[in-house]
Amino acid sequence: MRTRQGLLEIFSTFLQFQTDAFGGWVTDPKLRRSMQTCLQHSQDEYEVFWVLYWYRIWQAQTSALATAHLTAYLQEVCYWTARKLTLKLTGNHSIADFFQTAIARTDKVLKNFNPQLSSSLKSYAELVLGGVIKDWVQKQQEAGICTDWSLLHRTSQKRLVEALQFAGEGRETIERYVLAWNSFKELYAPGATQTASKLRQPDNSAWQAIAQTYKAERLTQLSISSPIASPELLEKWLLTCAKAVRAFLYPTQVSIYTPILGQETGELLDRLPGSIQDSLLSEAIAQEEAEIREDQNTQVNQILTQALTQLGVEAQTVLQNYYQQGLTQQQIACQLGVKQYTVSRQISRLKQTLLLTLAQWSQKTLHISLTSQVLDSMSNALEEWLTAHYCSP
Amino acid sequence: MSSNATLDRFYLEIPATAQETQVAFSTSGASWRARLNQMSLNAFLPWLQEEQAAKVWPSIAALPSFWEIVDGTAIDCEDMRLVLIPTIEIDLRELRVPQEWIDIPSWSADYYLAVQVNPDAGWIRIWGYTTHHQLKTKGVYDDGDRTYCLDEDDLIQDLNVLWIARQLCPEEPLRAEVLQAPALLRPQAENLLERLGNSTVTFPRLAVPFQLWAALIDHGGWRQRLYERRQGLSNSWSVPQWLQADISDLAAQLGWKAHTLLAQEMRSRAEQIGLSRQLVITGNPYELQVFPRGNPEERIWRFELHSLDGDRQVPAGFKLRLLTEDLQPFSHNEDTAIEAVDRLYVDVILEPGEGLVWEIEPIPEGYDRAILNF
Repeated sequence: MRTRQGLLEIFSTFLQFQTDAFGGWVTDPKLRRSMQTCLQHSQDEYEVFWVLYWYRIWQAQTSALATAHLTAYLQEVCYWTARKLTLKLTGNHSIADFFQTAIARTDKVLKNFNPQLSSSLKSYAELVLGGVIKDWVQKQQEAGICTDWSLLHRTSQKRLVEALQFAGEGRETIERYVLAWNSFKELYAPGATQTASKLRQPDNSAWQAIAQTYKAERLTQLSISSPIASPELLEKWLLTCAKAVRAFLYPTQVSIYTPILGQETGELLDRLPGSIQDSLLSEAIAQEEAEIREDQNTQVNQILTQALTQLGVEAQTVLQNYYQQGLTQQQIACQLGVKQYTVSRQISRLKQTLLLTLAQWSQKTLHISLTSQVLDSMSNALEEWLTAHYCSP
Repeated sequence: MSSNATLDRFYLEIPATAQETQVAFSTSGASWRARLNQMSLNAFLPWLQEEQAAKVWPSIAALPSFWEIVDGTAIDCEDMRLVLIPTIEIDLRELRVPQEWIDIPSWSADYYLAVQVNPDAGWIRIWGYTTHHQLKTKGVYDDGDRTYCLDEDDLIQDLNVLWIARQLCPEEPLRAEVLQAPALLRPQAENLLERLGNSTVTFPRLAVPFQLWAALIDHGGWRQRLYERRQGLSNSWSVPQWLQADISDLAAQLGWKAHTLLAQEMRSRAEQIGLSRQLVITGNPYELQVFPRGNPEERIWRFELHSLDGDRQVPAGFKLRLLTEDLQPFSHNEDTAIEAVDRLYVDVILEPGEGLVWEIEPIPEGYDRAILNF
């Protein structure tokens, strides 16, 4: 892969695949113009400055333009994370699939990013997007071993509706399918000795019962009057649902601009209205921030390292086993001869101690006002820090 | 190396249970729901109890009557309530909480935990949590299946945050306001039980307006009766039957025992067959006794509360109260300890088949309203 050169390119181009390999950088003309205008106003050459700049704007207005610039910025880290994981995870995976899966979730990165506590947007994105990909692979594998009937049990209503919409079904059809699906789930579930993934096709009497329930419930649960459905028709509907859900599991091969088009406005402005942009540029707040942030990062590092040493030898061994050796909680439990939940409890207690330290320090020193959401993003930053701390040589 | 950490957090093994008691449910979906809830509880509760005093609400014995009709399991943990909402969904796009857990004041909780269950692999995972307040203010109400839905991105992912937030942001609102549904009269309840007790009604919780449904199942006695009817069982809460033959399994699980009670009065030293149940009130053990008095034709029954702790009396302020099945008071239905006393008691004359609900103040641990029939 050719690495991008210069701020203009870094904030306005998108990676293109040729089959499953790097195929070049494509410029988005609007993003390019927007970036050019910005660079005329400020000569700042630091990448960090522009990351914080766009992040601040994204935070203030969730602007489509800022999302697009940051998505462009994250292309490389996304590519490398995807590539690394195709090599690491067993199975035959495509870099392009991983990339698509991950880049579609840059919102997740931005939403929980905490510039005051994270070392950089890139390293944070690597952690989050890596998690997104692994999560996706795991879900694919789980869905892969399910029979259609199990898969229907293991699909959320939201997902089912999205899949049916994607398959082009209309609102009223979807409503009928959802009722059929709910009746199926309530009347035909795995028995005491059956596994959740190998549910077999309902037998005739089960289909009769489902048809009975559908017949009764359609009167109250459907918004427009619908005829009864035969057992055969219901079976057909449910197989259609299963097929739609399976098709929807794969990342849809859409334009690389998905995250931009995903914005409700659809229209991308070259220049933002409002004064945030101007004030940020003229006062060079972001520049100052970049420097402060660097200093804060050093401090975060210090207080967490200190908190870690205060935890005691036993605690540190557990964290080392977990983060450095990559042992699972079951493996650690085996080593120590205790129950898995005891290990889980212990790790969670240690993380609570560290999180509490970090939160209190942030409140006191950075004057961050704490809410559950803020604490949750701090917990991600802590995870990032622990991972880096135990993995760096 | 260690990147399993993010995925791995809050995984808990489902312990192998010694014996799975066979409980009947009206649909295979309800049995499945019960299994998933039971697995979540078996994995989560020991983990929680390592550090907190936590127990199932209202009691383990009452759980089937919940799972028959609705998904979710409540746990009282020190001064807060959690509700586990299990799912076997793979995609985890959103948390869906049945309206009952939000809008019935006595059921509602502070926190709702999203639990992914993988029965085949034998683990559960807490993939996020939220609060009553968030569900009410940020959640979307789906009137199709009467649930409050919250997108996965709006959940707090790390359960550690719950305990830290309680320390550092105590002012964060946990609950939103909910209104009590107007209570039902006995004929109304009887009508609903007749209709919804028929197991061919597949979704009883969606079959009548929510206010009526909520008022019905808010009453533990009616919720229990609904469960029994849906299994085709007759009313198992008959005190005379318990005394003559056997006490029902459920009543036994709740701690009711039939045995010979030593009548406490001075003038009659006669032994008396009666019922008793141990209760824990404000941390101390008490016993509630129910036994017939005098001639059987008189149909007089006594409800009596006394301490099980040798020297302790029933402290001032305690109340023992009897109500009709639909929670109406009647004359001389209550005994209050104005000062510490040896016992509280209420005598009532009952018609055959008549039902009564007992209440004690302060509320005993694990109290769930039940109807005793005579």
